[in-house]
Amino acid sequence: MRVNGEPREVLVEPRTTLLQVLREDLGLTGTKQGCNAGDCGACTVLIDNYPVVSCLTLAIEAQGKEILTIEGLDREGQLHPLQQAFIDHYAVQCGFCTPGMILSAKALLDRNSHPTEQEVREAISGNLCRCTGYVKIVEAILAVVNDQQKVSI
Amino acid sequence: MSEFSVIGKSVPRVDALEKVTGKAKYSVDLTLPGMLYAKVLRSPYPHARIVHIDTSGAEKAAKVRGVVTGKDAPEEGVGWIRDRHILARGTVRFVGEAVAAVAADSIEAAEEALELIKVDYEELPAVFDAEEAMKLHAPVVVHPDLFQYTRTPLPYPLYRFEPERPNVYIHRPIRKGDTQKGFEESDLIFENRFSAPMMQHSCLELHNALAVPEPNGGLTVYDSTHVMHAHKADLCRLFRLPPSKVRVVSLYIGGCFGGKAGMIVPAIASLLALKTRRPVKLVLNRDEVFVDGTSRESMTIYIKDGVKKDGTLVAREIRMILNAGAYSGTTTLVAKNATFGAVGTYRVPNFKLDSYAVATNAPATGAFRGFGSTEVIWAIESQMDMISEELEIDPLEIRKRNILKEGEEDVCGMKTHSIGARECLEKVAEWIEWDKEPLKEEGPWKRGKGIAVGNKYTMPGTRSVVNVKVHPDGAIEVRHSAHEVGQGGNTALAQIAAEEFGTSVDKVRMVFTDTAITPFDAGTVSSRSTFHTGNALRLACQDVKRRIFEIASERLKVPPEDLGLREGVIYAKGGDKTMKLADLFSPIGFLLKGGELFGSGTYTGPLESEDADTGQGKRVVTSYAHGANAVEVRVNVETGEVRVVRNGTSFDMGQPINPKLCEGQMEGGLGMGIGGALYEEMVLSNGEVVNPNFMDYKCPSSLDLPACVDVKSMIAAVPHQEGPYGAKGFSEGGLVAVAPAIANAIFKATGVRIRDLPITKEKVLKMLRSITGKEGDRRSKG
Repeated sequence: MRVNGEPREVLVEPRTTLLQVLREDLGLTGTKQGCNAGDCGACTVLIDNYPVVSCLTLAIEAQGKEILTIEGLDREGQLHPLQQAFIDHYAVQCGFCTPGMILSAKALLDRNSHPTEQEVREAISGNLCRCTGYVKIVEAILAVVNDQQKVSI
Repeated sequence: MSEFSVIGKSVPRVDALEKVTGKAKYSVDLTLPGMLYAKVLRSPYPHARIVHIDTSGAEKAAKVRGVVTGKDAPEEGVGWIRDRHILARGTVRFVGEAVAAVAADSIEAAEEALELIKVDYEELPAVFDAEEAMKLHAPVVVHPDLFQYTRTPLPYPLYRFEPERPNVYIHRPIRKGDTQKGFEESDLIFENRFSAPMMQHSCLELHNALAVPEPNGGLTVYDSTHVMHAHKADLCRLFRLPPSKVRVVSLYIGGCFGGKAGMIVPAIASLLALKTRRPVKLVLNRDEVFVDGTSRESMTIYIKDGVKKDGTLVAREIRMILNAGAYSGTTTLVAKNATFGAVGTYRVPNFKLDSYAVATNAPATGAFRGFGSTEVIWAIESQMDMISEELEIDPLEIRKRNILKEGEEDVCGMKTHSIGARECLEKVAEWIEWDKEPLKEEGPWKRGKGIAVGNKYTMPGTRSVVNVKVHPDGAIEVRHSAHEVGQGGNTALAQIAAEEFGTSVDKVRMVFTDTAITPFDAGTVSSRSTFHTGNALRLACQDVKRRIFEIASERLKVPPEDLGLREGVIYAKGGDKTMKLADLFSPIGFLLKGGELFGSGTYTGPLESEDADTGQGKRVVTSYAHGANAVEVRVNVETGEVRVVRNGTSFDMGQPINPKLCEGQMEGGLGMGIGGALYEEMVLSNGEVVNPNFMDYKCPSSLDLPACVDVKSMIAAVPHQEGPYGAKGFSEGGLVAVAPAIANAIFKATGVRIRDLPITKEKVLKMLRSITGKEGDRRSKG
């Protein structure tokens, strides 16, 4: 599989999850484990730009696929606009939901560059946050939408 | 606010970059060479005698490096009342109590080994209901030795048993005036029973610890906790190690909300590490966090109010019964301090309160954001609206009439200071357009507005120490032990250091929460960090500045008291002499005269303790933060569904250090508050948590909160004279007024009054169907 643009080869048992491979074999601990049951979204990564909960994804299912984790989002030191917006809008508190939240938002914006607030809320509804009440997270994502609109004008 | 250069400004969070890039480290992210993985065997019974444990099968299993049971565990117990061994000895008292633990080369090997441990139990009768358990001479006694257990010494009265009620952990009374006489003088009496269920903090980061045995016989523990120094002291005590040989390190904490103070996880990891001489990592599964993650106790509140026709409170009696579960952890202190929720807001001439923490065979409990205030305020603020309804006085008005004023004595005899309850109420009322009727919708959805006010105290008599080092480049290194749990403490403290040095936040470096490096702090509890650690930091900054000015004084030939510091330049006030801070240092980084530039500050919060029988005392808390919520709800009268569509929150945190962070705390409080109001409840069946996962225990998602534009967080800056720059803590209070505001709004929308949280669809629908036109248990005299 390719992880954050680089080819990676790992030997895994069939029962090993993608989350285990990322955190334990590849040392990519930015992907978090919150429940191991697909309920909290903290382990969200993108497979071929589609969000999945890596705790319920077997590593072998990711064979030959393109995986994006939070560590692969910035480009040559340049933060992704969503990362910058999460900083600017105080959308981060404890930070544990943040990687999954940002990746869910990226998957949405890549498919729908002009989502409504409701569409943003639906896209991150599988990502639990216990700190923020979601207000500033939604504001941060919508700010990126608005900035993109400005650019496209 | 203009007098400050950094305080009161919304500077970006200092930890945000690490967190948005996935680089921020939590203890759960750590792996060490040779590290073993631990798993815990738990009791399937709510109350049973352990007849025999056979670990031989597990010990022989492949990849297993160590097995421990109660016999291997330390002699001493944990908790304020030390009622629990880290692994059960002789008796198990709740479903999920830790009985044995295994360390193995992999998680899977540890899990498989658990199945090879054979435990014979002899079931004992159990009790789950706190009111049942607290009866006189109750037949089931959870802790026959309760009165003999060692108790952690405290600087205020806490431990007070009821000899004839063997399951009562503590009884906390407050007495003022004569409530009997007060009820006689009242025009109307209101009496109701309310309840709040067990709640789980649901921190996204699972409870975890990584214990490393040191060659000198000591321990280093990477511990996801918010009370690192208390954990260190407990580890020393449990394992009989000197303080110099135990190091506890906390990295970033993935949420705590009071839930990571328990000792079980770090102590079991340490026990296994000392036994195997290998690093041992223990990470609980989510269902284990629900069962043994010190969830919030359930509380039943009886409240009786006597009022005059104009709404003036004359007498109030409250009886709070906390189901502490099988082990009391900090819930003894919760039973005491929850009473402050009933103390800090209203003037009540005659007041009587009795709070009880009761042992049962429910899961062990502990601290949870609000520390009991949320539950008692749920009862008070619901009843305030019931009174206002009967007397036809506006809910806003009846509250304002009874709110304490600056300088007035509260029911504990403490002088009120820095009370912004009235301002908070006015702000939220104005924002939600309290005077205007809500929209009338066609169809099943009915709208209503509700309001509530509450408070959260900060505990008295606790200490923080901060050390500051000034680097040759002018950078200020702050060494402190206030945990960064998401609240933004590092940012607020960096702002305080920047303010003191007349510089910007980017010149401040935070070194935090490592007992080998950072000094004592009572921990990130009770909304105390900004106030206590902030005050200690100011003192530390002043200490090192004094040193800087002494040295510069010789060079500039200006008395130290006439010197100032700004942007790394030392200057003579009212003169033109200046020198760079960097010029105090030699080229290789030490002072030209002396070694390094250090300062230290220690701050101890005020305490004038109370009388154990009456609760009367001059300074029983450090401060009170007051807050109010005004909400608008939509209720579907066909399905019982409740949606919060608008919310205004306001808190009086004194001088806000960083307004955006304050907003974040209010919004987070709203999110968790809506969860507690409408969805969240740990359901027990025969003592077993039947919904220990996020599918069956519903935390609010992004779809359960109002739209961004419909959430407003407002600051009522009412300074506290002892806080840094007038600031005081408030974040823990985020939930206190949310549930009653929602319940009061539901009543306005539908006439349904719910007394038992959470307000589920089923409850609303049932009440809608049984509504008889009159509200519950009110009765008028004469």
